[in-house]
Amino acid sequence: MRVLIIEDEVRLAANIATALRQGAGLAVDCAHDGSEGAALAEFEHYDLLLLDLMLPSLDGLSIVRRTRARGDRTPILVLTAQDERSHVVTLLNAGADDYLTKPFDLGELIARVKALIRRGKGAAQPLLTVGRLSINAVEQTVRCGGQLVDLSPTEYRILEYLMYRPRAIVSKQELLEHLYDYTWEHHSNVIEAHVSNLRSRLRSAGEEATVETVRGRGYRLEAPEPKL
Amino acid sequence: MKMRSLTRRLIAGVLLAELLCAADFSVVAIAHEMHVRQRAFDIMLRGRADSLLGAVQDADDPEANVTVDQSELILPAEDIYEVLSPTGRLLGESPNADAKVLRALVSSQSQGYFNVRLGRVHYRALRTQGVRVIDRLENGGTRRPVTLIYGAPTQHFFHEVLEAVRFYVLTSVLLLAATGVILAWLLRRWLSPLRELALNASRVSVSSWEFAPTDSALRTRELQPIILSIRQLLAGLREAFERQRRFTGDAAHELKTSIALLKSSLQLLNMGRRSAEQYEEGLSDLTVDVQRMEELTERMLLLARIEEEPIKALDVVDLATTVRSLADRLEPLAKVKQVRISQIADGPYFVSMQVSDADILSSNLLMNAVQHSPERTEITVSLTVRNGITEMRVVDQGDGIPETALPHIFERFYRTDASRSRQSGGTGLGLAICKAIVARSHGSIVVQSAPGRGTQIVVTLPTARG
Repeated sequence: MRVLIIEDEVRLAANIATALRQGAGLAVDCAHDGSEGAALAEFEHYDLLLLDLMLPSLDGLSIVRRTRARGDRTPILVLTAQDERSHVVTLLNAGADDYLTKPFDLGELIARVKALIRRGKGAAQPLLTVGRLSINAVEQTVRCGGQLVDLSPTEYRILEYLMYRPRAIVSKQELLEHLYDYTWEHHSNVIEAHVSNLRSRLRSAGEEATVETVRGRGYRLEAPEPKL
Repeated sequence: MKMRSLTRRLIAGVLLAELLCAADFSVVAIAHEMHVRQRAFDIMLRGRADSLLGAVQDADDPEANVTVDQSELILPAEDIYEVLSPTGRLLGESPNADAKVLRALVSSQSQGYFNVRLGRVHYRALRTQGVRVIDRLENGGTRRPVTLIYGAPTQHFFHEVLEAVRFYVLTSVLLLAATGVILAWLLRRWLSPLRELALNASRVSVSSWEFAPTDSALRTRELQPIILSIRQLLAGLREAFERQRRFTGDAAHELKTSIALLKSSLQLLNMGRRSAEQYEEGLSDLTVDVQRMEELTERMLLLARIEEEPIKALDVVDLATTVRSLADRLEPLAKVKQVRISQIADGPYFVSMQVSDADILSSNLLMNAVQHSPERTEITVSLTVRNGITEMRVVDQGDGIPETALPHIFERFYRTDASRSRQSGGTGLGLAICKAIVARSHGSIVVQSAPGRGTQIVVTLPTARG
């Protein structure tokens, strides 16, 4: 999952990015200026926008309005210094999904970010199950019939992304766009390598579900129908 | 404090004027009435006297006395009269007259009309001369002059005058009462625009700045200055309030962001195990963040103090010395950045402003210039005097300010490029502080800049005699 942080205080943005990368296994991009952030939000593919309300060149409320006016349904979490009720109401009515007042708790921020991403994908709870395979998005653990499967962070991220849309074809490009931020290398063969590793880890754990390659189109999480 | 009512004063004024008019009118009317009635009375008196004379002509004349035949005379019973011979001998008298009354009448020597008081009764009397012809049939008769004194009591006359007075007074009082009521009603109606205006003005509050006077108030000429001044006052207040609110919001944002940074840095250090080096690095970062927060707080308080505290007394400051000592203090920083500060100012340049203000102003401008100057460039500070105005120019060869940013450059917390100036440690308050200082020193500050061509800040201050 990939998150965009729009926050003009550079060090705070960096701290949040670190926390989200380490604490939630997310790919994170940062913008320090309103217009730059709005442009990134429009042309890149994010699973969540995290933005400050007061920004140079374009304020947070305008970014929220602009995003929603485009028909973009990406979850938006707003950081604000003002907790006046009218202010919060305006913000939520404009299309923001949640808000957090500064100074916030990093743990709470991570939890809210995860919950919003989950909701954005249509899941209400952090436990995703496909066949015998289940993952816990909070603990970032994968289990196969109750047995823990050891995955690398990237492998976990690929599997989590696919688990939200089982049996749907997800293109390599989409995986790249949602799992990597600008600090990572953008090579599609990186994905191939990670998918291949993921497959062998699942297989060695005795999992029946597997990531299939659909030639020329992408990947698909395929699981046998549960036996009745 | 005792409240005064305009309505009551107006009504009282009008009624007082009316009362004076009525009194005036009554006095004149009464005088006139008296005069007219007195003349009528006198004419009546003469008429009766003439009737009496006629009766005396016809009277029998036993010797020297005159016996008036009462049955032929129709005179009021209370009237009195006497007929005297030229020698003063009483020839005849009215039947009702007693001796005392008659003596009084005779003894009054007045000619023509006169007033006399007989006992309790006031009389107006007429002394008139007549000629009595006796023995008309014999050789034309004998002409004997007689004096007639005829009096009538005036109590009827005064009674009528009093009636007239009572009529005038009563009418006036009724008129006054009616005017008062009508006036009160009219004033209530006519003053309604004023009451509506007051109601409209009272509805204005911090949450609703709407001030919409009613049509009737807008169409009242006397209310125009009030409406105008209320509008101006509201506009000023609203602007000040908005400015204050913006500042509070901005300040909250800045401070809370600073705290959020500190908190997140601490929490990050606490997430998972760190090496000693990582802790050290984290702590030194935190120290820098705390220092910045300290600076931010200090500057916010400084700005608030400069903007709110009225200036006590202006000192005489030599700007040249201030700039020179500042340049010396900034020398180490300038050396690190390889920036040269050159000063074009010989001799003292005295301006009137507070010493501390001069220090803060110059150091803010110079620090700004140093921070925005690329390496191996020069900053020039020049001072000139013209027409009692001292001008200080601080010119750098930095990147300049984009045109879109120029109008906002003196706004609080405004930064041309957020990320860059944050890294350079700016609080976004430096130029706002400069502007506030210049404003309270009765000077001006202008920025001239174009991207890539450096920035020039021109401050003008009133020159002081050194």
